[in-house]
Amino acid sequence: MIEKVTKVVKKKRAKFTESLIHEIAQAAQRHDLDDDELDELVKRVKKAYERAKIEAGEAVGTVAAQSVGEPGTQMTMRTFHYAGVAELNVTLGLPRLIEIVDARKKISTPTMAIFFEDEYRNDEEFVRTIANQIGKSTMNDILQDFHINYAENNVVAELNMEKIADKRLNFDDIINRVEKAFKKVQIDNNLLSFEPAKSSIRELRLLADKVRDLQISGVKNIGRVVIRKEEEEWVIHTEGSNLGAVLKMEGVDKVRTTTNDIHEVEKVLGVEAARNAIIHEAQRTMDEQGLTVDVRHIMLVADMMTADGSVKSIGRHGISGEKASVLARASFEETGKHLLRASIRGEIDHLTGIIENIIIGQPIPLGTGSVGVVMKQK
Amino acid sequence: MASKLTRFEKARIIGARALQLSMGARPLVDVPESLDPIDIATLELKKKVIPLDIRK
Repeated sequence: MIEKVTKVVKKKRAKFTESLIHEIAQAAQRHDLDDDELDELVKRVKKAYERAKIEAGEAVGTVAAQSVGEPGTQMTMRTFHYAGVAELNVTLGLPRLIEIVDARKKISTPTMAIFFEDEYRNDEEFVRTIANQIGKSTMNDILQDFHINYAENNVVAELNMEKIADKRLNFDDIINRVEKAFKKVQIDNNLLSFEPAKSSIRELRLLADKVRDLQISGVKNIGRVVIRKEEEEWVIHTEGSNLGAVLKMEGVDKVRTTTNDIHEVEKVLGVEAARNAIIHEAQRTMDEQGLTVDVRHIMLVADMMTADGSVKSIGRHGISGEKASVLARASFEETGKHLLRASIRGEIDHLTGIIENIIIGQPIPLGTGSVGVVMKQK
Repeated sequence: MASKLTRFEKARIIGARALQLSMGARPLVDVPESLDPIDIATLELKKKVIPLDIRK
């Protein structure tokens, strides 16, 4: 079916995207179209497609800014969302949108959604094991009994084997970690006793805290994990994010597993992925608030942010601050600074942008102004 | 003018041609009922006789 549609589309000399051809093929199948009808359909789609295209010279940036800005005014100023039963806190709404366009290095609530490959998708045992490898566990989580013995000057911790089994941890690994972290430790099966370096009550108490907070499993930067069954498969949600480490784990679906940290996506998967992440995150934030913005506006924003090879913020430190024209920069923020620097360096403004020409009082290169007219050569 | 003109290009060409007409250029079509240079320029564009080109 798809080949047939591709052929018809080629015959009509239309340049459709792959997804559009797929949609036409599906529609043709659903309605059982014959060849003539398919011809007509492609003809009409071509017409509609060409009409929907943006003409050269259109002020797409302004339209995009308005289309994202107006719904932005309707967003709740401060929203916290608790996703599902397990209360994972995720920043959403206006604060999140600001975070995205500012391209923050440290986002306030990094989180991951970890999916699994076909064979492990429904294997709860496997998923739980992975979840406990990813999620942070401390000694405190697996203690049966814990006390400070002031008389013998040591800290005694009894490990709870049931809890260890429940968390699918390896007992030997735990012991290894404990031995690495503490020099003076005696291990008798699941009974551990620690001695402080110096014998004082203060040292003893500090040691007790250190023992309890010892991390015995988990991936760096990831805190709590939540395991959920979503549409017939097990998914892990995390507090904190470390895409690089998680993608290396066995059984993890490298295609669908994501993080909401755009800089991490850029670091691990590259700018193109970062661009997609910006689009996805911005749209999700809008959607969640019940606001619909055409993707193409958001795509334009994402394109601007990633066009020169790395993720740049919108604003003083990013796009606006790096414009080629002095006047354009000066008209945004820190006017004096830019004019002074430009005069010291002897910068030249070629007046190719919009703002420069408005300042000078010339027609701007946009819409009708972007068209030049010459007499026809005879 | 091989490809279709955008609405900006159309406006620009009609505008430029109308200015020429208003300053006394000879119309390249039979003048219609209206003597408005813009109407004449629009008709000229429709018949593709305007001696102007778009420079991108």
